[in-house]
Amino acid sequence: MVVEKGKKTINRLKSMYPLRAKVNETYLKSVEAIQAGKPAVWGMLNFYYGDPVLKAMDIEVVYPENYGAIAAATGVAQQYLERADADGFPSHLCGYSLTTLGYASRMMKELNGQIPPEAPFGGMPKPLFLMSSAAICDARYKWFQALGRYMDAPVWTLEAPTPGVKEFFIEGYYDSMVDLGVKHLRDFVAFVEGMVGKKMDWDKLDKTTNLMIEINRVWHEVNELRKAKPCPMHSRDFWSAMPAALFLAGDLEDSLRLYQNMYKEVKDRVNSHLGAIPEEKYRLVFAELPPWHSLGFFDKLAERGWNFVVESFGYRPPIPIDLSKVSDPLERITRFSLQFFAGYYEDARKQNVLGGAFAYPYLKYAREWKCDGALLHPLISCRSASTHLPYVADMLMEELKVPSLSIEGDIVDLRLFNPEDALAKAEPFEETMEHYRKIRKQAGFDW
Amino acid sequence: MSDKNKGLSKAQEIYLNRSQRARELKAAGKKIIGYPCVYVPLEMLTALDLVPYRTCGAIKEPVTEADRALPSSFCPIMRNCLDCALKGKNDFLDGMATIHSCDPQEKTAHVWESYTNYPYFHFIDMPSTVRPEALEYFKSQLNDFRKTLEAFTGKKLSTDKLEAAIKSHNQQRTLVRELYELTKPSPPRISGTEIVQVVKALMSLPVVEGNDLLTEVISEAKNRTDGPEKESARLLIWGSILDDTDIMQVFEAKANVVMDESCGGIRAYRAEVKFTADPLEGLADYYLKEITCARTFRQATLGETRKDYARDLQSRFGYLKGIIKEWKINGAIMLLVRYCDPFAFEIPSLKDYFGGLGVPSTYIEYDYTTGALAPLRTRVEAFLETIS
Repeated sequence: MVVEKGKKTINRLKSMYPLRAKVNETYLKSVEAIQAGKPAVWGMLNFYYGDPVLKAMDIEVVYPENYGAIAAATGVAQQYLERADADGFPSHLCGYSLTTLGYASRMMKELNGQIPPEAPFGGMPKPLFLMSSAAICDARYKWFQALGRYMDAPVWTLEAPTPGVKEFFIEGYYDSMVDLGVKHLRDFVAFVEGMVGKKMDWDKLDKTTNLMIEINRVWHEVNELRKAKPCPMHSRDFWSAMPAALFLAGDLEDSLRLYQNMYKEVKDRVNSHLGAIPEEKYRLVFAELPPWHSLGFFDKLAERGWNFVVESFGYRPPIPIDLSKVSDPLERITRFSLQFFAGYYEDARKQNVLGGAFAYPYLKYAREWKCDGALLHPLISCRSASTHLPYVADMLMEELKVPSLSIEGDIVDLRLFNPEDALAKAEPFEETMEHYRKIRKQAGFDW
Repeated sequence: MSDKNKGLSKAQEIYLNRSQRARELKAAGKKIIGYPCVYVPLEMLTALDLVPYRTCGAIKEPVTEADRALPSSFCPIMRNCLDCALKGKNDFLDGMATIHSCDPQEKTAHVWESYTNYPYFHFIDMPSTVRPEALEYFKSQLNDFRKTLEAFTGKKLSTDKLEAAIKSHNQQRTLVRELYELTKPSPPRISGTEIVQVVKALMSLPVVEGNDLLTEVISEAKNRTDGPEKESARLLIWGSILDDTDIMQVFEAKANVVMDESCGGIRAYRAEVKFTADPLEGLADYYLKEITCARTFRQATLGETRKDYARDLQSRFGYLKGIIKEWKINGAIMLLVRYCDPFAFEIPSLKDYFGGLGVPSTYIEYDYTTGALAPLRTRVEAFLETIS
């Protein structure tokens, strides 16, 4: 595991730690659950669509995407990658998927379904079924389909409408997405009921849905506070705290309380003009997936006055929407999930930014969080988190005169990210940011 | 010597100068609509008197312009297609019809729209499953496509015209299947290389002209005396797209390619659109269910709560069984364009399936450049040695 030693410059939020702990708890709970005969499911990040259904059915969910990152950071991924390679999967596939395929191969072909002893965090237990998602990229449903080679777990692929910015405003378009979502979820509920042999508790689903929406509203408000100068919360705290909102990890009432605590702490920092780093010289936006294994890199940048004030569209809570008048929880879930993309479309259309939901948010972030630069992190084996980055860089410069620095890495091959090389680029990029500050001022921007 | 204006020679001419006919039609007042993927329902364009033109890449063209918009570790085909567009090679187009058939198609569509300025541009969203609600959603997407096409052309898309267009395109599908009947004999009456030229020509012409060309090609191939030599290897090629003769010739140097199961071959022509009371329903059904691209999530039984690997393989690859038997295939090549996730995930399972049928197979990857041809040749020769 790559660990950066030395001084920690970033002033971490105390309220973040109990939220971060929920990830570990979730893995351990899933292992305990299966030992106690409770069902466990492998799920893809699904943007609030399938998770509340499973949560309401008391099903433990583990996320192989996250587990891929853990396996990489703890140094066990390599043996799974080699196993996937030996089984014939092309090496340029998503690193997380290859890790899971190699893990499943070892678990099912060598260990007769037992968790591999070297697996960190208690490992991923054999699932009752797989919940994949068509959102974001093709890999996230093809990968679970490919697991059929190793295990007889049925797969449900959650549909994920992906509208174009212009098309979204065709009359009836949004309604057809909602219609798809509600019907699809109703069938998904029936599938889950069939798998676990019990009926959905609709009151519980109603409550779970409301908690999910409220957690994400508070989490959104926390992030809005980060528009303050100096920014009171660093991206590292965002990434540490997000799983409870994004994956519904842990007890939801507890999560809501913890996010409310975080709101108070961040608000206190805003009121007392306390930043997340000692001296905020530059405000930056980060895209997309961070280098999980080298997060200490951000402390080095913090020493130079780089504060990361906004980040990772794919992990951010949806822009809040009033769903209080929608009585059907499945419709509420659908509309909330759609909001993840759709929340940005009206502005994107007004500004004629046609690059879809993946690209427009960065324009909004840079403008509203008043960023001096963007740090882009294209990943060799995660094309979905990388494809839009050249376009994002082009658009940030074209529209806002905000420069970008691109530093290549990977999600599992730790050798591809070179923090020293990246730090060597910091000083020249500071000159670039200074230059564009002047350009922005001349162009009438207010930062 | 065959007539240059007919049949196979004509197909070759069109293949070598794909845009010529589209430019002529444009000069004559027709509107030309580009499409990058076979999932775009061409019947809707034809019915409105628009000329569909598939925007392909060119393996001899080094990617330069697309670098500013797409990263290098991205589908080489879409990078190449966009590159050609940004270099003005498709400057005769009046618009683009794009579709979410896969992630690179979706991402490239938005970038394409941002960096170009066609009078018409539409993006069709496409579900990933074949569930009833997904089909219904896809039909609504086609209805939205209809609305924007009508607004662009100023014409109504009538049921009569759409049915007539479906009939013409179904005829083309029938003719392509007839063309592939000519690869059943040994030696085949037509080579894989010639079929690449014919199919790419079809994607450059209005459907009626394409059907005339096919009729000529079939007649000529049936009666020819200068067909391909007989080779011991009769290959099936499976992959996303094989649309270049240089690549096909690598395989055909020492083998007969009798089936190209890619969207440069038979894939878009194997089935037909059914006539339904609402033609959009038949179109939605055909395009979502019948085209056997790896992008679609298929299961033995929808929403199954028990899984059986053998049944799963059958639901995903079962269509290949009949092909292998009827075309007497003795070797299969899984041809992967680098970074193509939907097809890449299929490789081990498809190898299992071929293995179950007793058909030797190999997986070969390339990056859609001429630099890939030499290593491709080595891999193909090695495979042919193993099956000989």
